[in-house]
Amino acid sequence: MTRFEVDMMKRILFLLLVCLTACTGRKAVEPHSEAELAGLTVACRNGSHYQTMLEQRDDIRLFLTNNDPDALLAVRQGRADVFVTDEMLLGEAEMARWGVKKVFRGEDSYPICFGIRKGNDELRRSLNAFLAATPVEAIVSHYTHGTAAVPEPPYEVNPKAKPLRFVFTTNMAPVSYMDEDGKWVGIDIDLIRRFAHRLGRPLELHTQALSSALVALQSGQCDLIASYLELTEERQQIIDFSLPYYDVYPGFFVLDSGANESATMRERVAMNLKTENRWMMIGHGLLETILITLFSILLGSALGCLFCRAKGSKREWVRNLTTLYSGFIGSMPTLVLLLILYYVVFARTGIPATIVAIITFALCFASSSGNLFYSSISSVPKGQVEAGLSLGFTRMQTFRYIVLPQAMKKGLPAFAGDCVGLLKGTSIVGYISIHDLTHVSDLIRARTFDAIIPLLVATVIYFFLAWALRKGIGLLMPKDLSTPSKS
Amino acid sequence: MIRVEHLNKTFRQPDGSLLTVLHDVNCEIHKGEVISIIGPSGSGKSTFLHTLNMLEPPTSGKVYVNGEDITAPDYPLAKLRHKMGMVFQNFNLFDHMTVLENITFAPVKLLHLSQTRAEQEAMELLKRVGMVHKADVYPATLSGGQKQRVAIARALAMHPDVMLLDEPTSSLDPTMVGEVLAVMRGLAQDGMTMLLVTHQLRFARDVSSRIIFMKDGGIYEDGTPEQIFEFPIHSATKAFVNRIKKLLFEIDSDDFDFYEIHTDITRFCIKYNIQAKAEHAFTLIKEVLFLHTRHIRPITVRLTHTEMTGVTALDFMVENLNETPLTDADRVKIRPQVNDIIEERTTRGFRVKLLI
Repeated sequence: MTRFEVDMMKRILFLLLVCLTACTGRKAVEPHSEAELAGLTVACRNGSHYQTMLEQRDDIRLFLTNNDPDALLAVRQGRADVFVTDEMLLGEAEMARWGVKKVFRGEDSYPICFGIRKGNDELRRSLNAFLAATPVEAIVSHYTHGTAAVPEPPYEVNPKAKPLRFVFTTNMAPVSYMDEDGKWVGIDIDLIRRFAHRLGRPLELHTQALSSALVALQSGQCDLIASYLELTEERQQIIDFSLPYYDVYPGFFVLDSGANESATMRERVAMNLKTENRWMMIGHGLLETILITLFSILLGSALGCLFCRAKGSKREWVRNLTTLYSGFIGSMPTLVLLLILYYVVFARTGIPATIVAIITFALCFASSSGNLFYSSISSVPKGQVEAGLSLGFTRMQTFRYIVLPQAMKKGLPAFAGDCVGLLKGTSIVGYISIHDLTHVSDLIRARTFDAIIPLLVATVIYFFLAWALRKGIGLLMPKDLSTPSKS
Repeated sequence: MIRVEHLNKTFRQPDGSLLTVLHDVNCEIHKGEVISIIGPSGSGKSTFLHTLNMLEPPTSGKVYVNGEDITAPDYPLAKLRHKMGMVFQNFNLFDHMTVLENITFAPVKLLHLSQTRAEQEAMELLKRVGMVHKADVYPATLSGGQKQRVAIARALAMHPDVMLLDEPTSSLDPTMVGEVLAVMRGLAQDGMTMLLVTHQLRFARDVSSRIIFMKDGGIYEDGTPEQIFEFPIHSATKAFVNRIKKLLFEIDSDDFDFYEIHTDITRFCIKYNIQAKAEHAFTLIKEVLFLHTRHIRPITVRLTHTEMTGVTALDFMVENLNETPLTDADRVKIRPQVNDIIEERTTRGFRVKLLI
């Protein structure tokens, strides 16, 4: 395309975008107090205490989102007029970047604490003592307003000591986020790091969804959790809290119509891939997806062979078992099975989420591949077995040389299809916080508010993976069977 | 070479009842014999054949091959089967291998022949059955007769001592039966011990040294072809070997569907491999019905064929008639077209039989 054509395309696209935004039909509003919210649509995170706060009012339409960034997105997309979130999450720079501005600050603040396992009093006392002795406000200010970094007193870490395991649940500045060098930083991270140094223990950082983190804390898989942990009564029943280390005020934000934020494609790609080394995240996500897919296929196929043997058993009860199993597994959504295995069956064990995922997919794949194996093998005419036996082959030999190649010719294409289906099915593991390709691209979207680039990248990678998978399985096709037979 | 003692085979039906397929079968088979097993369908012929190489283990009884009891529990059957070649009604060629591979596969894998040697031998065999030009094609592209010839070659590749052939031509179009029978005739002439279950009575008579007639799961008669075909002892045997195939038409009035008759006759003749006679038979029927017996209705027309003798006859039967409906003029017209005219009274009326 010539330069001129490229420019024209950009202009047309921009006009389309403008029309689209104009068509959403929202007038710019600017409420300046909670009273002025009357008659507006307010977006906020589902489960946040803002929701409880606003739900009580009849004159506000509430738009609930999965997380805070989505609430911001709702306003940008014109689905809501205002959104409310923790004030400190959006500094000047952030507001300018996303084209929003703060209209006012709410009145009621709430305390943020660290979460500790119930009954772990020693750690709690130690943490509270640390917080009392540390200039928390100065540290907070460094991250929210960019004031000077607070120096740390000298410390010595004993590498042999039991590590302090810390799980944080938000990936957002200024609380806990990854900087350009790939290091985790932020208010919570900083404080805990200092705490660990003071204790002389090495620090282990993990990130999980809040629900998983709470489970991990209760079961003793970790020592501390944090990231916007509000002290609520419900939570106090299951975990202990440290003393609050700062108070958070709600901020109400609207779209800043004056803002000019059309980033060029290059800037957008950079933002999505380069900043904070996000391409590395994608790489890890890709690896995770490949790992889960391959092991699920291997384990699932092995179980599928067992299933197939059982299905052809002479004993009726064994055959009935396979029908039961198929029916059971086939009747529930894979996601439900995954959640049951993760949150119920394997809950108290230390089994990592990835293994649970592999087990889930293998169980489902066993049923589908087992049925496929069985029908492929059954479709080979029995006369061929008779012929093989009459020549003097043993049953094993007849199966290996005569039945199997023909069964594979018939069943391999469908098997490849099932494998690609499994590959696509692994995209649900984000629900148990496994950072696979889909989840990672969604995380990036949540951080950058750019849906197209990360999801497009993920799609392209999935295409490639599916192609590679089909090709790989095609290699298994027995030789000399590529000649199509005339029937 | 093979001895069968008190062989019984029962199958359990899906509804629980027992079906006896073989009942107290005793038999001895000697080297060099060519034995045809004939009999009506369901008489247990195929099952009997399958017990000889233990593809179908008997419910009770013993089978001895060269003195060894192959029905014994730990008998090495795979080894036994090297020496017993089997040819099936449905060919059972390995669809995923070429013709050549079908033949060389077992010798290479089981007899440990080298690939080259196995291929050489395979080509010899293909020459013998007349299928050399198709060595590198897949079975799906072959006709039935060609497949069966390859199947014979495949069985021969293992250098068996005895060949078991289970209705080898039953699945074939009548046009292809000849080519396979020719191969089998060659085998017999070369001295191969053969056990052949077949419906081709003429062939059985020509080629076999011995005929076994089975019915209802047992051996009724066992003897030379002459004994069985010329002088059968049991009435069942007699009825079987002389069985007549027939086609009947009842003509009540002049409104009958003669295209349907034409189709039925054609089908009948193709089925019994006497296609050449179909048109002739039809022309004769038309002529007799419309010319010579025009005023005689109702009249029954019957087309019969006896395989053993090769005789085909057209019968025109009228009830309650005491004398021949044909005049001399009729006979003059008909006589050149047929082999013979037989006019005879029957218990019910009169019959004019034309042999064609």
